Amino acid sequence: MLDKILSSRFWSWLFKGYGIVFLIFLYLPLGLIFVYSFNANSINMAVWTDFTFDWYLTIFGGANSQSEFDAAFTESPERIFEVVRNSAVVALCASTISTVIGTATAIALQRYNFAGKKFYQALLILPMIVPDIVLGIALLIFFVGAGFELSLLTIIIGHTTFLASYVFIVVSARLAGMDTTLEQASADLGAGPLTTFRRVTLPQIMPGVVGGFLLAFIISLDDVVITYFIAGVGSQTLPIFILAMMRRGLRPQINALAVLLLAFSFVVAAIGLYLRSRKT
Amino acid sequence: MSFLKITSAHKAYRTPEGAMVHALNDVSLDIRNNEFLTLLGPSGCGKTTLLKCISGFEDIDSGEISLEGKDLKGVPAHRRPFNTVFQNYALFPHLNIADNVGYGLDVAKVARKQRDLRVEEALELVGLTGFGSREPNQLSGGQQQRVALARSLILRPRVLLLDEPLSALDRKMRENMQIELKMLQDSVGITFVFVTHDQEEALAMSDRIAVISDGKVQQVASPTEVYDEPANEFVANFVGTSNIFTGRIFEKQGNIVTIETANQRKVQAESDRFGVGDHVQLILRPEHLKFTPGGNGVPDNCIEGVVETCIFVGSDLHLHVDVGKGRKAVVHHRHDRGNADEKIEAGSQVKLYYSPRAAHLIKAVVN
Repeated sequence: MLDKILSSRFWSWLFKGYGIVFLIFLYLPLGLIFVYSFNANSINMAVWTDFTFDWYLTIFGGANSQSEFDAAFTESPERIFEVVRNSAVVALCASTISTVIGTATAIALQRYNFAGKKFYQALLILPMIVPDIVLGIALLIFFVGAGFELSLLTIIIGHTTFLASYVFIVVSARLAGMDTTLEQASADLGAGPLTTFRRVTLPQIMPGVVGGFLLAFIISLDDVVITYFIAGVGSQTLPIFILAMMRRGLRPQINALAVLLLAFSFVVAAIGLYLRSRKT
Repeated sequence: MSFLKITSAHKAYRTPEGAMVHALNDVSLDIRNNEFLTLLGPSGCGKTTLLKCISGFEDIDSGEISLEGKDLKGVPAHRRPFNTVFQNYALFPHLNIADNVGYGLDVAKVARKQRDLRVEEALELVGLTGFGSREPNQLSGGQQQRVALARSLILRPRVLLLDEPLSALDRKMRENMQIELKMLQDSVGITFVFVTHDQEEALAMSDRIAVISDGKVQQVASPTEVYDEPANEFVANFVGTSNIFTGRIFEKQGNIVTIETANQRKVQAESDRFGVGDHVQLILRPEHLKFTPGGNGVPDNCIEGVVETCIFVGSDLHLHVDVGKGRKAVVHHRHDRGNADEKIEAGSQVKLYYSPRAAHLIKAVVN
């Protein structure tokens, strides 16, 4: 009975409509940023005046058609390049280190049983649940107490503490789906533990490792809260920098910067999805 | 010198519930060079554990496993001259067929040219010439099976261990592979240790069968001996079907003994080993029980009964005959369909008889 009602023309249109409305709800804000980033109106971005690439050009240092008013609110390409480089260094280092730690931990926990294993597993996942602001403050207290000078290094260490958990979970899922007899078969054919890891285990879990790395990379790239606490004076990352820009007003350049960041994230995510689909 | 020798091997597990399970309970086995030995037993009997202990994936708690007099204790799996064909084949999904087969040679760093040559040979041996560049998931179950065989045989192991390798194949394929495996073993001259729970498979392929149950070796003998002269009741029931009568010998004339069962039934058998007063079990295979619808020419020591069920299995009729006093006999009858008089159905009155020479006696366990 219910089936019949739901499959009627009216309901079918209603559900389709709902799906479309929901997608609009999700993507309209992102679409607005994209549109506004091309709007020449620098006073009120919600009012369209003219199409321009200027905001993008200011980022790369190619625009000079700005008014003095705009120039006062626009960051120099050198400054932007510096924070982007900071972000890239932090994201690459933190995600690489946490991929190594997370993968090694996942393999160890899958292979060995020991007293308190469940508890240990829970502790590993905890950093994902701990509120960012708490983790940020805790890290700050730790770094100051331990005598670290806040710098890119402290951000990298701080990010690694919780990113390793993400990698651990992604790689663990992959390992759980792996046929353990493959490793036995490798040993059976004369391969020692290291050869087996290199030739069988690693290729098998590679999609998980790469996926975990990309996930960690993206999370590190846009982390604000934790980074905010542990970033030193000279070690601003891109999201912190954008936040600082926002304080002085919502300028069109921010839209352009946001669109570029968004595009980059999409590319990274697309690579991740592609790699995952290639080898199941 | 003995070849692969297992001496009083013990292995116990603790289940997650905390109970101890004796997977191997004093197992001793002498495996000969170049033989096809089957470890036969129901699931959970310890046969796969034994295989894993031989291959080195697991260690025995006590006892010894030795190859040509050398104890294998502490030798890891990758240093033992044995190779395994796994139940699920365990082909490496990220490598193509040639790289799967050549894996062992690559690990051993065999020169490229020689490696390629031997991979070709191995693929030819299992009838998969030209499959080298395919991926494992493009192959059928039977083909994957052959790749697994080629991958193991290419290393020329002293012993090839096979862990229920045919169980995932359909019946027809399985029967073909049985013949092929046996021929392969003859041609390569490597000792095969084959694990299975399928008694037909064991009977068809083996030089010798080790019947295992409850972590113990029940009997080690040739297929005919295991079938015709089972060592105990377990073997009699597990390998083929048996009619078993338990009783005491009360008369012996020449080598024909007469046994009186608890139900006062008198059955006869031929035996040199047992004498008057011995408690024995008489084992009779279903195909040795003949029957007649009654009437003339019937030996006097026949058993009367009523056909309860009659199952047509193609070549034979399988009859369950109620012989009274709560006992049932199983009869496998090669029926003659040209004979219109032969009409058997549920409810028919029949007389069963057998030749005393076809019966096998074992010592009964008296409680």
